[in-house]
Amino acid sequence: MILCIDPDEDARAATVRAFTEAGFEARGVASAADARQSLRERGAVDALVAEYDLPDGTGLELVNDSRELSPDTACVLFTAVSLDDIDTEAFGGAVADYVSKDDPDARTEVVDRVEQSVAFQTQTSYPLPENEPARVAALERYAVDPAALGGTIDRLAELATALFGVDSATVGVLDAHEQRFLSCHGVSFDTTDREETVCTYAILDDEVTVFEDTRDDPRFGDNEGLAAANIRFYASAPLVTPEGHRIGTFCIYDSEPREVSEQDRHHLQLFASEVMEQLTLRRRLQNEDEPDD
Amino acid sequence: MTDAYGFSSLPLADIRSGTTVLVAGPTHGGARELALRMLAGESNEGAIIVSTNERSSRIVGECQRVGLDVRADSTVVLDCVGDEDQNVPARILPLSGPSDLTGIGMRFSDVYRDFQQAGIERVRTGLYTTSTLLTFNDLQTVSRFVHTLVGRIDSVDGFGVLLIDPSNHDERAVSTLAQFCNARVDVRDADEGPELRARGLANQPRDWTAFAPVE
Repeated sequence: MILCIDPDEDARAATVRAFTEAGFEARGVASAADARQSLRERGAVDALVAEYDLPDGTGLELVNDSRELSPDTACVLFTAVSLDDIDTEAFGGAVADYVSKDDPDARTEVVDRVEQSVAFQTQTSYPLPENEPARVAALERYAVDPAALGGTIDRLAELATALFGVDSATVGVLDAHEQRFLSCHGVSFDTTDREETVCTYAILDDEVTVFEDTRDDPRFGDNEGLAAANIRFYASAPLVTPEGHRIGTFCIYDSEPREVSEQDRHHLQLFASEVMEQLTLRRRLQNEDEPDD
Repeated sequence: MTDAYGFSSLPLADIRSGTTVLVAGPTHGGARELALRMLAGESNEGAIIVSTNERSSRIVGECQRVGLDVRADSTVVLDCVGDEDQNVPARILPLSGPSDLTGIGMRFSDVYRDFQQAGIERVRTGLYTTSTLLTFNDLQTVSRFVHTLVGRIDSVDGFGVLLIDPSNHDERAVSTLAQFCNARVDVRDADEGPELRARGLANQPRDWTAFAPVE
């Protein structure tokens, strides 16, 4: 979904039309308040295309706010206001692209720009695994509804907590923008933006990932979620599909920094393999219930 | 896709257009000079220089010394230092400071568009230095900025070089930023002079290779 914010009715309609013709789902709103409401009610959008001059603020303020509500969104200021007249300093950390509405082919340009940013997710604040679109598509093929998994994954999380002698364990999958938890034992996590989760970095490679003390790490030192859950030690093994996509993680956590042995790493990998096998079997069962054609 | 970008005075093979390279090494050693030299290309190319901690006159002087043909119609400095210099042979665009990442990114897009309208299709962009940005902003914000800039450079078939001094930062911060780039070139100052080695680039020296500093 592309959210187009422009107080000028004709300009707004033209922008929405340009995106619709390019195959996007697009929606137009006239003010920053309407845009914020849309983000709150309908959730994250792929892109936000905002005029700078809005009746209730500036497009940059809106971009800045959207980084809280929809952090991965590709944001573009699409305006006739020259950069010389835009105060970017106050929102220096918002990061957005800029397309001048004065250009003769402005709408082609803004559509191209958004298409590129959305396809390659270039405004995320975290690195993406190689071949991210294929990874997300692979994830969608698995039945990852926690209710459908029965107690299997919960039992594995509980066993891991006991085996490693840690506070807690979780099993989660990472979709395009969020981490969803299939099971939490000893801790309770809601669905979390990827830019806030350690697993975002853990799925960048196939190995077991260990942060003996997350507070030491420049990426997580001030992470509020870890602080709230009283987590310092983190270790995880990726859930790897038979095609090689890392769709999620099997994680263990503790409130104290600690080290892990080679055997711990091996055991953590066994837990992840076991979860992946469960997901694969359930996918197969589901496919048998609903045969293709 | 446009042709690859060449580096005539350096032991580096041509680099595919759309690539951004993180150049890592001590700021006052060979790394800065190497990163500036990588900006010097053919006469039909444009250059966008982001200066976070040096006055425009000084960085333009450095660029000229290492062989960049600085001209007002093809060289732009995004100047985060201010103190507007007169008589600099480049187009200077002032920014409020190194924490205005939004401004740097938007100026990049605007300048690139100007270049395109003036018929300049090949553009090299250099950021001197990423270390300053990390000093003034948190890692997550710099990450989003770098990711966005690298994406823009890729989509316009440009070439980008980001300079960083790893000794000023946690190596995990440096490697996170390196993950957004297509490649990394490390630079060190050996007894006989500066040396470089490349990671993530085809046909480039993987072992430490000496390069001659500019006289």
